[in-house]
Amino acid sequence: MARPLLRDDLRPKNTFSYFFREALRRIWVSKRSSFIAVAMIAMSLMIVGAFLLVAENLERAVAAAQGRSRVSVFLDPGAAPETIAAVGAALAANPHFAARQFVSKDEALARFRAYFPNLSGIAGQLDENPFPPSFECDVAPDVVQSPAFQREAAVVRALPGVEQVQFDWEWVERLKRLINIVNLAGVVAGGLLAVAAAFTIANVIRLTMMLYREEIEIMRLVGATERIIRGPFLIEGVLQGLLGAAAAIAVLVGAFFGARHFLVPANSLLWGFLFNGFLPWQKIAALVAGGMLAGYLGSWLSVRESGREAM
Amino acid sequence: MIHFYHVTKRFDRYSTALHDVTYHIEKGEFVFLTGPSGAGKSTLLKLILRQMTPSEGQIVVNGRNLNAIKRGQLPSFRREIGMVFQDFKLIERMTVFENLSFILTVLGLPPKEHKKKAYDVLRAVNLSHKMTAYPLQLSGGEQQRVAIARALINDPMVVVADEPTGNLDPDLSREIMDIFNAANLRGSTVLIATHDRDLIDQSGRRVISLDHGRIVEEKIAVPDRPARKDGVFGLGGV
Repeated sequence: MARPLLRDDLRPKNTFSYFFREALRRIWVSKRSSFIAVAMIAMSLMIVGAFLLVAENLERAVAAAQGRSRVSVFLDPGAAPETIAAVGAALAANPHFAARQFVSKDEALARFRAYFPNLSGIAGQLDENPFPPSFECDVAPDVVQSPAFQREAAVVRALPGVEQVQFDWEWVERLKRLINIVNLAGVVAGGLLAVAAAFTIANVIRLTMMLYREEIEIMRLVGATERIIRGPFLIEGVLQGLLGAAAAIAVLVGAFFGARHFLVPANSLLWGFLFNGFLPWQKIAALVAGGMLAGYLGSWLSVRESGREAM
Repeated sequence: MIHFYHVTKRFDRYSTALHDVTYHIEKGEFVFLTGPSGAGKSTLLKLILRQMTPSEGQIVVNGRNLNAIKRGQLPSFRREIGMVFQDFKLIERMTVFENLSFILTVLGLPPKEHKKKAYDVLRAVNLSHKMTAYPLQLSGGEQQRVAIARALINDPMVVVADEPTGNLDPDLSREIMDIFNAANLRGSTVLIATHDRDLIDQSGRRVISLDHGRIVEEKIAVPDRPARKDGVFGLGGV
């Protein structure tokens, strides 16, 4: 008599190809419910992705600004040329302010028009140029936040004709806080939606398992392990997550590059910040992994319940 | 190979399917289990496959105490048993070949071996020409033979069949019995539950009779025709 085939575990290659074939077939058979699950995943990942995209571009702006450590010395808009020259001389005497550039009122207005073309009409309607002249000083990053430099800045602020001394790192700090809020909002909103998507997938898989209840019973009676019974359902969830992530990324790519091409006016500072670049591959991979994980968790919830009922 | 020790199975206070059943089937035996409808035959077979657990008593199959077997050990235990279900339990969305191939996947055989294995076992049940048919495209007898092929594809240690010839004509019943005999000759222990008296009487095999959940008789059937030279009882060729 031939020895019975009693391998307790199965060859991974064989079973994985079986899992994938079965999972793809089941997705195809339950097209509508699978579509809903994929759409839910896609929607949640699109929202997470959009937040990530905004935060990513703001981070790039921050990184660029941090390298410069610029200090702007704004003067009275009505400052006389002699006053401006006196402030320039005072700055020249201080080595920390030596690398400086004067920006006249006209240059400031021209910059505003270039950065905000949509608002340039408003500027044109004003009787006089509202932008103050300024000195833009590039200070060494290690110096700019030191107490000694703060004291020097206070002296400059006290000079006649100086209205304000503004540090770039101040708004960089504010931007960093904004980035943290955007990231947190993205994680919270995306997390909640991902949980909802996982439950949607769990319900879809539960429905599929109901559909295959008789077949699962037969599998158990002929000696199929829980691994081989559950495998296709788990892969089904993972594939739904993968499809959802792919759809979300495709929509984000389309929306991002479409908007950059059709909406962004050239040289706009704000748009330039937000549409600097798309997500790096690490974050795209994280989105895909998140989708697959949500799909896996959803299907795992369903198959775990089914396993408990098994005899 | 199959040992029941004072097994009782109760479903509730008023419904007891088996009462204090004790019997032993040795390795390589071919045994019929008979009795009227409701005698407890199907319950007994379900207990052997560990589809249910006894209310009292012990069951040992192929050296495994089924009261002590863990859930994780059930699949490998069931793979040692070739079960033919009364309602066939074929997967309707799969072709005949796929129904068999699935079992081979469960057993861990590489896909390239599936076709030959499936063809060989289907040839043994005269269904090699129906490999691509779906169960619902087959007659009852053909479905029965596919279910038998599935049970035998693994050369199991134990073959258990629940009414495998129910609703079949006598010629087909003999053909199916010959398939079980061939499996028995290859070394499998065979237990067949049936109420087909003619089939049992011609077998020359041990018969366990159940009635109202109790074993009422154990005997060797005496055929009124001599056994064939090949040792198979006189019911036609394999």
